[in-house]
Amino acid sequence: MNDPRLGNVVEMRDIVKTFPGVRALDGVSFSVRAGEIHALVGKNGAGKSTLVQILTGLYPQDSGEIFVRGEPIERMTTTRAKDVGIALVAQHARFVPGLSIAENVFAGSLPRTRGGFVDWSRLHRDSAERLRRFGLEIDVRRRMEEVTIAERQMIEIARALFAEASVVILDEPTAPLPKHEVRMLFEFVRRQRERGATFVYISHYLEEVFELSDRVTVLRNGQLVGVTPTSQLTQPTLVRMISGTDVERFRRPARGGLGKPVLEVAGLSRPGAYEDLSLRVHAGEVVGLTGLEGCGNGALARGLFGLEPLGVGRVLVDGKPYRAANPAEALRRGVAYLPRDRHGLGIVGIRSVRDNVSLSVTDKLANALGFISGRRERSLVGKYIASLGIKTPGMGQAVENLSGGNQQKVVVAKLVATAPRILLLDEPTQGVDVQAKVEILRIVDELTGGGVGVAIVSDELGELTDVCDRVLVFYRGRLTREFRKGVDEMTPARILAAIEGEVEEGVDAVA
Amino acid sequence: MPWRRHVPGLLDNLIWFILVGVILFFATQSDKFLTPINLRNILAAAAVLGVLVVGQTFVLITGNFDLSTESTLGLSALLGLWLIVPAVAPTWGAGLLWNPFVSIAAILLMGAIIGWLIGSLITYGRMNNFIVTLAMLLILRGAMLRFTEGNAVNGLNFPPAQVFYSLGSAPAVTLPWLGKLPVAVAAMLLLFLIGYVILEHRPFGRDLYAIGGNRAAAVASGIDADKRIRQVYVLSGFLAAFGGWMLAGRVASVQVDLGEGYIFQVMAAAVIGGISLNGGRGKMIGALGGVLLLSTIDRGLNLMQVSVFWIQVIQGLIILIAMFIDAQKVRFRAPVVDTGATATTAGTAASTAPAD
Ligand SMILES: Nc1ncnc2c1ncn2[C@@H]1O[C@H](COP(=O)(O)OP(=O)(O)OP(=O)(O)O)[C@@H](O)[C@H]1O
Ligand SMILES: [Mg+2]
Repeated sequence: MNDPRLGNVVEMRDIVKTFPGVRALDGVSFSVRAGEIHALVGKNGAGKSTLVQILTGLYPQDSGEIFVRGEPIERMTTTRAKDVGIALVAQHARFVPGLSIAENVFAGSLPRTRGGFVDWSRLHRDSAERLRRFGLEIDVRRRMEEVTIAERQMIEIARALFAEASVVILDEPTAPLPKHEVRMLFEFVRRQRERGATFVYISHYLEEVFELSDRVTVLRNGQLVGVTPTSQLTQPTLVRMISGTDVERFRRPARGGLGKPVLEVAGLSRPGAYEDLSLRVHAGEVVGLTGLEGCGNGALARGLFGLEPLGVGRVLVDGKPYRAANPAEALRRGVAYLPRDRHGLGIVGIRSVRDNVSLSVTDKLANALGFISGRRERSLVGKYIASLGIKTPGMGQAVENLSGGNQQKVVVAKLVATAPRILLLDEPTQGVDVQAKVEILRIVDELTGGGVGVAIVSDELGELTDVCDRVLVFYRGRLTREFRKGVDEMTPARILAAIEGEVEEGVDAVA
Repeated sequence: MPWRRHVPGLLDNLIWFILVGVILFFATQSDKFLTPINLRNILAAAAVLGVLVVGQTFVLITGNFDLSTESTLGLSALLGLWLIVPAVAPTWGAGLLWNPFVSIAAILLMGAIIGWLIGSLITYGRMNNFIVTLAMLLILRGAMLRFTEGNAVNGLNFPPAQVFYSLGSAPAVTLPWLGKLPVAVAAMLLLFLIGYVILEHRPFGRDLYAIGGNRAAAVASGIDADKRIRQVYVLSGFLAAFGGWMLAGRVASVQVDLGEGYIFQVMAAAVIGGISLNGGRGKMIGALGGVLLLSTIDRGLNLMQVSVFWIQVIQGLIILIAMFIDAQKVRFRAPVVDTGATATTAGTAASTAPAD
């Protein structure tokens, strides 16, 4: 794949970067060849994001050198990075949601008529033409907020490429993507590579690394573990390089003798979201809710937690009628929810790890006089930092300074601290490394041991089959299929078929 | 650049360095500066401002503003006296001759109600806090004119009005060297202490920080943000009325423009004391530093007999410096580390898209 005559487009040597209390990068060297897709992997907090942020000038390094096409770059800045053609595609795409795709594509340099007004027809023609050059057939008049996340990412990659970027860095692009959009994104990335673009690709999904990349660089604790052509790797070796030990895939044993139902939903409908849903979650049970993006599983979880209207129908929690007008009410009834949108709904970034973990239980930590007991709070937060392996220099660290996966663990800790009866998890392992994934799933298992009912909204089918007692498939707002562990053949392949709408015998077809 | 990492922490505690520096500067300029009477004056002048700043800090932490407090302050001072003094000259009251304690209870209640009203408009009415409190600032100022028809209400020689002076001017404790500290100063310091304890050690305070830091996440963590916001405005209005009681006892007569322009000092003191206008950051103790600094500079310049013109210019500059510091905090905040793994709102919106 790699033409050996092509040199390194990017070379970083002995990069050191320290933050207060953390040595994020400890002499890391990293190089990227022209035209390759180079995967950058490592555990949460290994230093991946920091490395690419230094490469794009978002942070200065403490020491170490950066070369681009053999030229040393004295001080990398964001403008410098742009000049030498390195672009970072961030998840929080820098788009204006209310404007059209065309306007976003040309942001800052809209074509004008002679009178000085925006030349709309030219704008639409040119932007459509530009995107078409990258193989994107998109109606550019649509507003940015209406397009899917994958399309946004492709538009952002295209925008970077026609701004003359030759190296595009994707930091966990697929974490928020539904599976079928991942495929679209990958095809797009491959096509751009054929045309000469180079990619750095950060991800915790190892299957993706194997599918997409030519070479892999592994970081651990701010140090380089190794650089290897992907074809010479197997998944277990890669996992070992990443974690330093073998990581057992977590398979939750099927637990016999389910408890009473903790959540009962009967005939629940909400126009535009779901229709006539009936399901149960028992104490000690893990139920997967899966389906295509927009099939109603996420809406159900948000509705149950009081973030969105629930619709009409009967819902019982612990046998009593249930309806939450807001999350506070839901939490009082023992219903906790892990949001998919971590930055928007999960963390209070500028506050400390301590404040975030205890946020929902400050009342319970208070003593008789209503003051938060410092001792009890420290022991609670300390317990979760230890049990979830949250990597932080201390409880006082602002959560926004933690790596992505560790932020997710903070959110998990906050939920578990509420001692819920029902736990609704929306893509709980997104952005979480292999080992932490296992830790989070283990916590889920522990909770079910204590009688909690868990519902996981996810399209990680491998994970669902590993931990769920049952998996329910949603299709266009309706429940179409149920898989029971040990009764049905519950495999990712069969679930996938059901997700995509294949109707099996004996199951009611859905209009 | 390793120095960068110390910048945010330094900015948060900058106030105490500045305060010491300013005190040393004035001490070299005037030998009257480091005298008990002058320091007492500085503290006494800080009392009313401090009371307003305590209330404002609660509001600012949630990411909101309360511009109306200076009008609530003036109106409460005025009404408090107006209700108890005779209608005729030289007192110019309502002639109702209320019991002063009832009158004080009434203005405190009024302050709380004004705050509740503002909070309700902002939360139930989904209105912008800046505009709502600005409107309230004007409305209350107008109400002051209406009550007095332009006269200055005077309680100085009217015995029942003593209740006001006992808070505003009477001495509380006698300290060695410093001498007799006014009740007003003790009350202000006590309010700062209470405010500090609430913000740091009560669930209520944590909720406020979370709301100011990321309101949606706070709500999703089970916090009733709307209720908390109404509560901070009630607190702010109540404290403004309390400040009015205090202020009425420091002036001989209450003019209709009493309290006008206070809000600038309140904001400047809070921000220079480390309270972020973006919400979610800052400590009560820092705000106290801001109050002491402003009051020190004011007295110091007076002692040096700097002209009023320059005093105003310098106050303006202090506000600019405070805003500059606030802006630096955002600038020196580390960029968001995790560029990955976030569903955008469009993702959630898409997931509720209907099936046809
Ligand atoms: N601005 C900052 N202030 C303090 N510490 C930071 C900052 N940015 C990163 N760190 C720390 O540096 C380390 C490396 O973080 P980085 O974000 O690079 O990890 P990562 O490999 O991208 O992890 P993840 O897979 O979880 O996203 C972490 O321990 C993190 O807490
Ligand atoms: Mg990262």
